Amino acid sequence: MRKFILPLLFILLFVIESTFVQMVPPKEYFGNERFLIPHFLMIAILFLTIYGSKKYGLLYAFIFGLLFDIVYTEIIGIYLCLFPLIAYITSQLMRILQNNIIVTSLVVLFGIGVLEFGAYGMNIIINRTAMPLADFTLIRLIPTLILNLIVIIAGVYPLKRHFEKFIESLSE
Amino acid sequence: MPQFFLNKRLIILLVSIIILVSLIGFSLRERENVTWPEQFLKDMTGWVQNIVAGPTQYIAGFFENVQDLQNTYTENKELKSRLDDLAFLEAEVQLLQKDNAELREILDKEESLSQYEPVQATVVGRNPDRWHEMLTINKGSRDGIEPNMAVITSNGLIGKVKSAQTFTSTVQLLSSMDPTNRISAVVQDADKDTEIFGLIEGYDEKRKLLMLTKIPYDAKVEKDQMVTTSGYGGVFPKGLPIGKVVEVTPAEYGLTQTAYIEPGADLYDIQHVMVTKISSMNPEIQKELQKGEEEEDN
Repeated sequence: MRKFILPLLFILLFVIESTFVQMVPPKEYFGNERFLIPHFLMIAILFLTIYGSKKYGLLYAFIFGLLFDIVYTEIIGIYLCLFPLIAYITSQLMRILQNNIIVTSLVVLFGIGVLEFGAYGMNIIINRTAMPLADFTLIRLIPTLILNLIVIIAGVYPLKRHFEKFIESLSE
Repeated sequence: MPQFFLNKRLIILLVSIIILVSLIGFSLRERENVTWPEQFLKDMTGWVQNIVAGPTQYIAGFFENVQDLQNTYTENKELKSRLDDLAFLEAEVQLLQKDNAELREILDKEESLSQYEPVQATVVGRNPDRWHEMLTINKGSRDGIEPNMAVITSNGLIGKVKSAQTFTSTVQLLSSMDPTNRISAVVQDADKDTEIFGLIEGYDEKRKLLMLTKIPYDAKVEKDQMVTTSGYGGVFPKGLPIGKVVEVTPAEYGLTQTAYIEPGADLYDIQHVMVTKISSMNPEIQKELQKGEEEEDN
């Protein structure tokens, strides 16, 4: 049973991201003025990399990056490259940094920022957006970081416990 | 030994960059429909999305209802004032419809560019990274949906079907920045009989306006004129409303004009859509095709 919880959790987060964008934010507050992009999946992957194992983190990053590209963006490659890359950077960072909740939360937030910047850069290169950098920072990056910071604060403790238990069950 | 490792890493990095670039290139080219593994994955996620969307829609609907109750009084007032015009308009529409049918009968012309069969669908998901504005709807090729069909809401055109799977399809919104996303449109002028043609091409993300390009430099487009699809692309039906002109500026080199258009449909809050199955082709194109076939036969 325990075996299936992890993939199920990730699939659920994967789908909820799209439902969140579709349903939740009321238009009057968010819709057209700001872009709030949920990165629940990425948050979970990064916590898995930090608290679980690096191997599993990279594997899930790769699989769900591919799935994200195929299902949502229809351009294969952007998230397929960014998800594992950021998971790798995070695991390298955690080697140097202290392993407490506040530091890891900030590292995950940093990862989300890198993800947004990476996706922006790629989309500029393939000519799918013409948003100037200043606009991107103001109407996209900052609101997104705030939203995801809230999600990180809410999710860090349960995710940490779950992933640590998962690793214990693996080693048994 | 360290140098060997360095080389190995370098090679992996280079190979993955090559794979990445070729994958992006592969998916950027104009393709009819996505490949079957992609279709399968999309259908599977669509199924899960359907399950998740049900309860969320219910909850969202509840909050919306509460909000509606609060606005009832002002809305009612406004609606009453419109009701008087409506009866008048209805009578006129009926008359015109009858007229149109009779005239068509006389002309022996049954089909027109503006005819289509609507397929009702519900939106089950949206692309969470909002660079590529795309929706997932719960109808697919099983219900007769094909790529490139126009997708509308009650307020007007919102986009086209980008790819169709068996049970779900992906809709690309007008606001999506895609060089292949072009729609032949016409500016309606009620006073004069002239029609001004252009292409819907591009979206101003900051001002949330569509751009209608390639308008002839001498055409007089004014503010508040209606823009609809022209039907000459051969893909979309004629006469689907797109939006209203907000501003007209000369284009980059002054040879054409660009009009900024406020979309009639809300491109953010979309729950239910209609996919238009076009029932007839442009007669001229059809004639050309037939001619071509005959020539081939000979």
